[in-house]
Amino acid sequence: MAENVLKVLENGTDEQLRVAAALRDPALFADLYESNFDRVYAYVARRVPTRQDAEDLTSEVFHEALRNLGLFEWRGVPFAAWLLGIAKRRLANEWRRNGKKLEVARDNLEEAGIEGRIEETAVLSQLVEELPSDQRRVIRRRFVEQKSLREVAEELGRSEGAIKQLQYRALQNLRSGMGKRHV
Amino acid sequence: MSDLSLVDQLEVGIEALHAGDDSVQPACDPEIAGLLSLVSQLRTIPREDFKARLQADLMEAAEDIGGLAADAVEILTSGNTGDHGRILETVSRRNALAMRYNAAAKDVEDVPFDLLPTLSGGGEYPVRRGSFIASLAAHAAALALIVTSGIWAAGRGETRPQVNSVVVTDISYVLPPASTESRGGGGGGDQDKLKVSKGNPPRFAREQIAPPTIVVRTERPKLPAEPTVIGPPNLSFPQTSQLGDPLSGVLGPLSNGTGSEGGMGSGDRGGVGPGRGPGVGPGWGGGFGGGPYVVGGGVMAPRAIYSPEPEYSEEARRVKYQAVAVLQVVVDAQGRPRDIRVARSAGMGLDEKAMEAVRQWRFEPGTKDGRPVAVVVNVEVNFRLY
Repeated sequence: MAENVLKVLENGTDEQLRVAAALRDPALFADLYESNFDRVYAYVARRVPTRQDAEDLTSEVFHEALRNLGLFEWRGVPFAAWLLGIAKRRLANEWRRNGKKLEVARDNLEEAGIEGRIEETAVLSQLVEELPSDQRRVIRRRFVEQKSLREVAEELGRSEGAIKQLQYRALQNLRSGMGKRHV
Repeated sequence: MSDLSLVDQLEVGIEALHAGDDSVQPACDPEIAGLLSLVSQLRTIPREDFKARLQADLMEAAEDIGGLAADAVEILTSGNTGDHGRILETVSRRNALAMRYNAAAKDVEDVPFDLLPTLSGGGEYPVRRGSFIASLAAHAAALALIVTSGIWAAGRGETRPQVNSVVVTDISYVLPPASTESRGGGGGGDQDKLKVSKGNPPRFAREQIAPPTIVVRTERPKLPAEPTVIGPPNLSFPQTSQLGDPLSGVLGPLSNGTGSEGGMGSGDRGGVGPGRGPGVGPGWGGGFGGGPYVVGGGVMAPRAIYSPEPEYSEEARRVKYQAVAVLQVVVDAQGRPRDIRVARSAGMGLDEKAMEAVRQWRFEPGTKDGRPVAVVVNVEVNFRLY
């Protein structure tokens, strides 16, 4: 395996290099995690009913990936595809264990448009991180945690009108960022 | 439309989305509609702390893996495998790590192998209990049928008997060659108290109109006819004036004998002698010489028209014994088998089985000069196991 890693380090693509590096030093898996987290989470979140389920499954996917990184073979497909394969198997196991259909639509990865929507959500998640801090806080509390306008205003010590303005501007920025990334 | 009104419109849309009402979006400003679609997506992004928390967990796990690998590499490359304490510590850390991973992966490992997911009911399709049970029962029945039929066929295959029977007209190997072209016999009498007197029978003819009589009871018959016995016309006895049984030792007084139904002797049915029928001698069915006809010299063989095959004896089948049994059978003028005897024994109970079956046979009787007569034939029964 060491020879293969060296060969990749000499000739591989950026992602190949990162995988090879993580094989040599598992701590470098953080880089792969960082670049694929939003995609994996978006994929899982579309298929499970609760945020808690999405977090549990995403966690399982990355732990399994780290544990079995040595089994990953570079065959020209992105590392994300391998991760999503793990996620797909985990979801199937989850459905089987629950013994019933989950309420969330279980679109296949190959289904038309699904890949685009996953990518869109992943980019949106990254753009939220790039927002000014006050806008980011409003977005997270208002939409991720789904708090009311009043709760957010009280929590941030601002008026409801200010919060409304902040969320409006934040959403405009996000739309603008999405447009720039052609998503 | 002012910014404020757009902000308010946005807030109304957000509240509606939070309440699960998607109908607001088409009714509002196009810009707000676009922003609301982003809001829908934002509801699926992860919580702020989750990403960092998971990353920290992963890094801790990665550190364990990396440290373990480094220790293993160092021990192996240094060749100092005698450092048992360090090896044990490494193994212990590896086990602890494995336990933690196993706990993390428990959910997955608890799930059965991903084969036929609909069978276990955990797949994408729900299991219908009725269909499942019916399918299970059908498969079990089919399997049982296959197994039992296989066992049955195997059992049958070992001892399946095949029996071939054939009527053999050449009986030379069980009987000495006939000195004449046919044999047969007959007998008669008129229930006299005296035995039949010695003399010669009348001439042989193909048909008999009047039986021979020594003591004429009817002096003037209405339709006189020459007395004859049935047999080959080319056979002849010395013709003397005195009719009688040539085998009788009684010279006189003259008597038709103690038999019945006309003729002379102790037999019956219009012949001469102790037999039965219009012939001469101890046999039956006409002719001369004692016993039934054999095939040849104008005597046609009987033909089996109903011949159920014999069964294999259990004793012979058990030891896989194969043999040929030959039965000598007299087929009478009615086509029934008589006087069945074993001419060549097969043993192991096969002779009895053969006789039992041949008793049920029916024949188209053998003929002589177009008339049905009793004919002796052999029946060869070949017992074989396949």
